[in-house]
Amino acid sequence: MDKAKITIDGQQIEVDDGSYVLEAAKSLGIEIPTLCYYPYMVPYAACRICCVEAHGAGGWSKIVTACNYPVWDGLEIFTDTPRVINARRTNLEMLMANCAPVPVLQRLAEQLGITEPRWKTGSNYTCILCGLCVRICDEVVGAHALAFINRGAKRDVSTPFQLDSESCILCGACAKHCPTGYIKMEEIENRYIVHQEMNLSPNAAITLPFRQAVPNVPQIVRENCIHFKTGGCMVCAKVCPKDCIEYGDRPNFEEVEVGAVVIATGFDSFDPTPMKQYGYGKYPNVISSEEFEVMNNAAGPTGGKIVMENGAEPRAIAILHCIGSRDHDYHKYCSRVCCMYSLKFSHLVKEKTSAEVYQLYIDMRSFGKGYEEFYSRILDEGVNVIRGKAAEVVPSGYRQHEEGHLIVRCEDTLIGKYREIPVDMVILSTALEARRDAKEFGRKFNISTGADGWFIEAHPKLAPVSTTTEGIFLAGACQGAKDIPDAVAQGGAAAAQAMKLMAQGEVMMDAAYAVIDEAFCSGCKMCNDMCPYTAISFDDAKKVSVVNSALCKGCGTCVAACPAGAIMARHFTDEQIYAQIEGILA
Amino acid sequence: MSTNKLNSPAELVALKERLEKNRNANKTVVTVCAGTGCMACGCDAVLKTFREECANDRLENEVEIKATGCHGFCERGPLVVVHPLGVFYQRVKPADAKLIWEQTVKGGHLVNKLLYRDPQSNQIVKNEKDIPFYKKQMRIIFGKNGFMDPTAINDYILLGGYQALAMALTKMTPEQIIDEVKKSGLRGRGGGGFPTGKKWATCRAVKVEPKYTICNADEGDPGAFMDRSLLEGNPHQVIEGMLIGAYAIGSHEGFVYVRNEYPLAVKNLTIAIKAARDCGFLGENILGTGFSFDIEISRGGGAFVCGESTALMASLEGKVGEPRAKYIHTVESGLWDKPSNLNNVETWANVPPIIERGAEWFASIGTDNSKGTKVFALTGKVNNTGLVEVPMGITLREILYDIGGGVPRGKKFKAVQTGGPSGGTLIVETAEPKIHASMVAYGDLRDEDEAISLLDLPVDFDELTRAGSMMGSGGMIVMDEDSCMVDIARYFIHFLTEESCGKCVPCREGLVVMLNILQKISEGKGTIEDIEYLEELSQVIIDTSLCQLGGSAPNPVRSTIRYFRQEFLAHVIDKRCPAGVCKDLVSHAIDNTCNGCHACLKSCPTNAIVGEPKRLHYIIQDKCIQCGACYQICRYNSIKRIKHGEGDKLQERARELWQPPLKKVTAEVA
Repeated sequence: MDKAKITIDGQQIEVDDGSYVLEAAKSLGIEIPTLCYYPYMVPYAACRICCVEAHGAGGWSKIVTACNYPVWDGLEIFTDTPRVINARRTNLEMLMANCAPVPVLQRLAEQLGITEPRWKTGSNYTCILCGLCVRICDEVVGAHALAFINRGAKRDVSTPFQLDSESCILCGACAKHCPTGYIKMEEIENRYIVHQEMNLSPNAAITLPFRQAVPNVPQIVRENCIHFKTGGCMVCAKVCPKDCIEYGDRPNFEEVEVGAVVIATGFDSFDPTPMKQYGYGKYPNVISSEEFEVMNNAAGPTGGKIVMENGAEPRAIAILHCIGSRDHDYHKYCSRVCCMYSLKFSHLVKEKTSAEVYQLYIDMRSFGKGYEEFYSRILDEGVNVIRGKAAEVVPSGYRQHEEGHLIVRCEDTLIGKYREIPVDMVILSTALEARRDAKEFGRKFNISTGADGWFIEAHPKLAPVSTTTEGIFLAGACQGAKDIPDAVAQGGAAAAQAMKLMAQGEVMMDAAYAVIDEAFCSGCKMCNDMCPYTAISFDDAKKVSVVNSALCKGCGTCVAACPAGAIMARHFTDEQIYAQIEGILA
Repeated sequence: MSTNKLNSPAELVALKERLEKNRNANKTVVTVCAGTGCMACGCDAVLKTFREECANDRLENEVEIKATGCHGFCERGPLVVVHPLGVFYQRVKPADAKLIWEQTVKGGHLVNKLLYRDPQSNQIVKNEKDIPFYKKQMRIIFGKNGFMDPTAINDYILLGGYQALAMALTKMTPEQIIDEVKKSGLRGRGGGGFPTGKKWATCRAVKVEPKYTICNADEGDPGAFMDRSLLEGNPHQVIEGMLIGAYAIGSHEGFVYVRNEYPLAVKNLTIAIKAARDCGFLGENILGTGFSFDIEISRGGGAFVCGESTALMASLEGKVGEPRAKYIHTVESGLWDKPSNLNNVETWANVPPIIERGAEWFASIGTDNSKGTKVFALTGKVNNTGLVEVPMGITLREILYDIGGGVPRGKKFKAVQTGGPSGGTLIVETAEPKIHASMVAYGDLRDEDEAISLLDLPVDFDELTRAGSMMGSGGMIVMDEDSCMVDIARYFIHFLTEESCGKCVPCREGLVVMLNILQKISEGKGTIEDIEYLEELSQVIIDTSLCQLGGSAPNPVRSTIRYFRQEFLAHVIDKRCPAGVCKDLVSHAIDNTCNGCHACLKSCPTNAIVGEPKRLHYIIQDKCIQCGACYQICRYNSIKRIKHGEGDKLQERARELWQPPLKKVTAEVA
């Protein structure tokens, strides 16, 4: 592309021929105010605030709008002549004369030195008709659900015929780009702390799959992405400096042949929303332990600062143990790790803030190596440890207007008294629970889950990492709640087991397995469904069932079930059993 | 009507010769103007009467009755001209038609009472060309209107139509045509005055296909109707102009964007396009030259802003008629981002005469930088309203007095508004003998003479612009001493706030602010500061508006302040409306010259006027709504418009004479 040399306020710059003055000024660091510009759309030039003075050869000069004035070689631009400033000011005054004093106008007015518009026509309209919403919907989203209606002073933004638009895909782009808040979405998501880090917006289309995902890169959620609804948008591709956006990319499946599998799917964090008494989801300063970890992270949204939703430092924090654990209504088991991480939290809070910390526990389970010592240290640090489970969290009654002020109600069982503790923030030490898809997942590997959803090992004492299926091993919290040292140890053991198989290169099999006598098999398929190891399949050509001897464990279920008596377990034939019985009786 | 398709220019010549041979030069032709103006005055009934009479007398073969396009003299419609005598009758009623039929057509006598009588000399004028209204005109574009039936292509061919096209296609290269148009000095008649030849040359130079040829017939200025009359009366000339233009720039597709409010224009144009297609002037391989071009009609919904070229193109594309910035010209990227050459109806109509008679001839008409003629729609407070086609450089005095015939009822000229809502108001004569000192102080006028001399302003593009107005599309609204300049400015700004598309801030919001200020001034609540605000706002709106609608919108205010500052000052300082129009600043009162004719009493909508017949009348001030109906009707100039609240001062004697009907009321009570 041809280049054009232009001068802006005395600074020379070379830019692409046909690009616009505003962009060139931006790259020089010259700020030109505007109300209707959005870099990924065709410039509209409606607000006329971005006007600048263009000078050309021969001494002519005129006012042009920077956002859509194409540059040409030799162009000279002035952005701060009295004529320009006056034009900007008067235009803004005209706009303010007919519009409500919305913040975006007031900010600009301050910048341009206007205190009060000289005229006021009495209308108090919030919309400044910048057209961002209409154009976003049209050019970027491609839904064409919004348009201008009427002419002149009666102009307005609306859906066709001012009815609910069927074309609207509820993407929210219009509301997001509305500078005055004239367009609102009905549903407002206000839990910023929870969601900001996970997503870019409540239902953003570009997210990280989960924290610390491998690889830790964002992905497009097709259901939320405008591009996959209308074919438009593609703003992310324009923004990305490295051209990383690949709309054609899809999740794909790769098949790998392996001899051993270690299952380490981990756990889910208990969602405390159903426990209404703690007000999670209702009060912004009631957060889960996971959210606290996020906040405490130096790379997190607050940069590691411990703050309330309004950004202030809390004066008192309560940490509530056993949320969802040791609870008849949720999980009866103890999650084993909460006591210790809760103690860690109080240590961190004490270290980073001057807040008062309250621990509300049922039993303090600090059983590991050095854990009890840590508990003692916490006590020395002045953490208030109260024995008694918190009953509920309520907003402070007499100062309800004060945001974030909460009261924790509990019984202190050591002194036998009911207590109300005023705090600014509540951290819920939520239980560890099995992954919600554990059962389904287990079925794929022929391993079963217990009542709590954890995977069941082959033997609790003798084979804690193996499963009933040969070559499948368990590691970490998928088998039961455990802390990091335990999980690491189990992982090591599972890896060793797997390596043992690999080192041998072959698998020793039990000689006892079932075989089907094809002559007798009637092809009723009864055994096919019955086999717990899916070892029996049906041979369509021969119309008989066939046992895969590598999968068969010789359990004998099919042998007993076969109505024709066609299945026989090797080394457990009727003759052998009779012979054994005879041997015993002899 | 059906003519076989012409396959070569020779066939066109042959057809013309054949038509000429068949025509009987002595055959009586009665032409009745069927323009919209005459239509409204009842020319349909006149036509019908003529046709009936003709049928009754079985003279269909001897006499031809023709409904023609607009003759321009709309004030005197319906117009009837009897050829070959050339007798011109005006204000013909159906009953008069019978008389004309009997007397003139059959008998060869004149009907004196229907002839035009010059109001100044009181002489009867027989022929159209001798009437002062037509005398000073130069009818290049409208010349054929009166002689042809707009729906008959043969009429047009007979008058030499499509000869220019044949010449252009066979004897000239596109470059030669563009050169010719350049040499002729033709400038766009739509308002901007951009040199047409230059525009064509730029469009031709762009190497993008296809190119579009567009005719702008979205005439929206209040009081302007020349484009309509042209399309109604002589659509073929416009089509021919477009054809030549399209050939010159290398375009094969054309559009005519015409207002839907012009049903007759749409109808006649549709017929003309079909006829031209049938004759082989439109379509593939025109006149066997290999050049192809066709025209499509697009009807506009009536938004004023759609007369702006980019908004018009947006509308043609089916989008909302909103202008866009013209930093990239439409001749390079216009309709559907393709090179588009847009010209006004009148501009296109100028092309065939230029090709036919040569650039030198055309350039010999007019002033240095404005060549040819211009059609003005003369309206307002002038005796002869209508369409006038005059050579450029004619003075305002000639238009207003010689052609327009002066102001009715002996009033004085005050101002002329040209260029429609975006144009300016020019002072021509001043009702007040002394010019306010402020005008001199502000440097707008140096002395008294100069104010009067605007009447001798030569009318062309540059002179009008220099005087603070513009040519515009050619509307010319004449105002007399009864027009208030604040009110005029307010009216135009109000029109523009309604018609602004609303896209950009200065035009949408700025005009509303200006309207508010003008409203304030007309209510007597204005301050001197407000006048300064108006000037400041005008400057910023002109500087920063996106399109020319906004860029010229403050012109009515700027020009009225420039020439009539004293009137604005009267409103804000004296709280007085000199013309007596602003209702909050005026009172109506009857002075002692009243002879009690009762005319005003009958016209008053609120029964505010009381008085015995032949006795002094009295306006009850509390009841009067200042509508001005009595003022308009009084033939003795007895009703005065004076400063608000001073009505009873003038009517003191009348008030004494008038006794409220107390007796009757008391009797009823008793």
